[in-house]
Amino acid sequence: MKTIQEINEKIKKGEAVVVTAEEMIKIVEEEGVKKAADYVDVVTTGTFGAMCSSGVFINFGHSDPPIKMLKIYLNNVEAYGGLAAVDAYIGATQPNEDPDVDIDYGGAHVIEDLVRGKEIELYAEGYTTDCYPRKDVNVKITLDDVNQAIMVNPRNGYQTYAAATNSRDEKIYTYMGVLLPEYSNVHYSGAGQLNPLQNDYDPETKSFNTIGIGTRIFLGGGIGYVIGEGTQHNPPFGTLMVKGDLKQMDPKFIRAATMPKYGSTLYIGLGIPIPVLNEKIAERCAIRDEDIEVPIYDYGTPRRDRPLIAKTNYKVLRSGKITLRVNIEGREVEKTVKTGSVSSYKMAREVAETLKKWILDGKFLLSERVDTLGRAENKPMKSPITLVRDILSKPPITAQRNISIMEAAKILIKHNINHLPIVDEQGRLVGIITSWDIAKALAQNKKTIEEIMTRNVVTAYEDEPVDHVAVKMSKYNISGVPVVDNYRRVVGVVTSEDISRLFGGKK
Amino acid sequence: MRKRIYYWTASEHINKPVIADTVLNTGVKINILKAKVEPQEAFLILELIGSKETIEKALDYLSKFGEVEEISKVIKRDLEKCVHCGCCLTQCPIDAIYMDEEYNVVFKEDECVGCKNCMKACPFKAIEIIE
Ligand code: SF4
Ligand code: SF4
Repeated sequence: MKTIQEINEKIKKGEAVVVTAEEMIKIVEEEGVKKAADYVDVVTTGTFGAMCSSGVFINFGHSDPPIKMLKIYLNNVEAYGGLAAVDAYIGATQPNEDPDVDIDYGGAHVIEDLVRGKEIELYAEGYTTDCYPRKDVNVKITLDDVNQAIMVNPRNGYQTYAAATNSRDEKIYTYMGVLLPEYSNVHYSGAGQLNPLQNDYDPETKSFNTIGIGTRIFLGGGIGYVIGEGTQHNPPFGTLMVKGDLKQMDPKFIRAATMPKYGSTLYIGLGIPIPVLNEKIAERCAIRDEDIEVPIYDYGTPRRDRPLIAKTNYKVLRSGKITLRVNIEGREVEKTVKTGSVSSYKMAREVAETLKKWILDGKFLLSERVDTLGRAENKPMKSPITLVRDILSKPPITAQRNISIMEAAKILIKHNINHLPIVDEQGRLVGIITSWDIAKALAQNKKTIEEIMTRNVVTAYEDEPVDHVAVKMSKYNISGVPVVDNYRRVVGVVTSEDISRLFGGKK
Repeated sequence: MRKRIYYWTASEHINKPVIADTVLNTGVKINILKAKVEPQEAFLILELIGSKETIEKALDYLSKFGEVEEISKVIKRDLEKCVHCGCCLTQCPIDAIYMDEEYNVVFKEDECVGCKNCMKACPFKAIEIIE
């Protein structure tokens, strides 16, 4: 048994034994937990990945005459100003006000530019009062010009992050990167065996051995602190709320990014030293990639609870490929696909190494936590949902492909509809005809349904959210989609009128 | 082996099937990565696949009808910007990107066919495909 004070004394004397979590694995393997616990004093951890929930409080100082800033823009990115006269919070995922720039230069990019010492344009408008006569202000500032720039990140350093794949027949753009159609890749995130919370976790009590409020950490190349549990904290999916001084940070460990067609985000290097106070802590610090279970979810399903595709671990994910058993068009198939990381293990290592060096050099002492992390809770929002099945026109009016165009026209008129799904003998969808297709057929003197029907039909499922169907309709510029079951049998049709009636009724 | 070239042909040759002739006469395989044909001039990026000899023959033949410049690299990666995450890795249709044992993301540059998938997926805009 050691204490943090004893370890700090050793650090000051230059006698502490400090190793990274990767090195600890080897030590425990070779010498056993007991010996490792005896002579290792500190294990350093690290992670480097997209941490969307990050941002910076800035105090700009007062202008003359003073202004109470209400709408605040930094390089055209809005910062939240409902704090006080000249304070603002800039969040990493805030897009640009200019739609042409939008997510390519967002809050994260402002933060990185500040750390890089670049000049930022501050534009703010206010409402005038007796103390604050000024209406607007427009100046160029650097990080040196502001009073405080305090990074406060409500949710960083996820203990484990679920991996992602995509069942749809099209590419999708997510915060886990670009996911290829039909489960053709798996993306994952996280430092696994180097992850801070993972190395400090006690699975029996579902709590953390040493990390708590007040734990001194490496944040973005500077010194920061854990100020509590993060939002959505729910071990073994624990998260942290952290703070640090942006003025101390290093652009190497604070990197703005834009997930393609998704949004801007900030990659942050975060590292935590774990004092090896006893054997239990030593043992956990030897956790390996293969010991950490990672679920893989289908991001192609536009629902909150995404289907679980498989369970794996970081070792398999890091090997570069994985074999999945998946269902493609009703058939169960085995598929070996490439895995790609969204976070950087190489940089996570660098974080752990840098922190180790700081401690060995006596520049960084460990702190005692003042309290454990707070309450675990991650429950879904109580939000209403409308599914396709709720607004479906039923029974479906469909037709076989051997009918004449005249007959198709009659069906449309008789039922007062614009979309006619064409089905085979089993009722499975083979195409669709709209009234526009019929008008075109007349003009172009086409004779058969086969000639004029659209074969590549955009479809929907009964348990799909209506919102998602609306997105599809506007994306493909269509006004109706057939609803099919798992065998592609048509069970109904949803049109843009059905959807607008729904929204019209609610307001 | 593979060799990639920029190729400009002058207007008098635009109507000749220069590329097809090169293939027929030398036995080289040609992958057209980019082609811009205008009334006065055509500009192409070609990938020649074959033995060293056939490629040399093909280059000779092509030179008769236009100007050849070798491309040593198609991908330009800004190593200051790249954090070796791996978001680009699964996007490559020909497995020209991989992660080495030290967790560096490595590009096998001579295999790249310039499809730009990796470029479009990189969150740091670290990749440029030279055109
Ligand atoms: S996606 Fe971009 S930053 Fe990530 S490894 Fe590839 S080139 Fe580097
Ligand atoms: S451009 Fe295409 S072929 Fe070349 S490395 Fe990128 S993904 Fe692979």
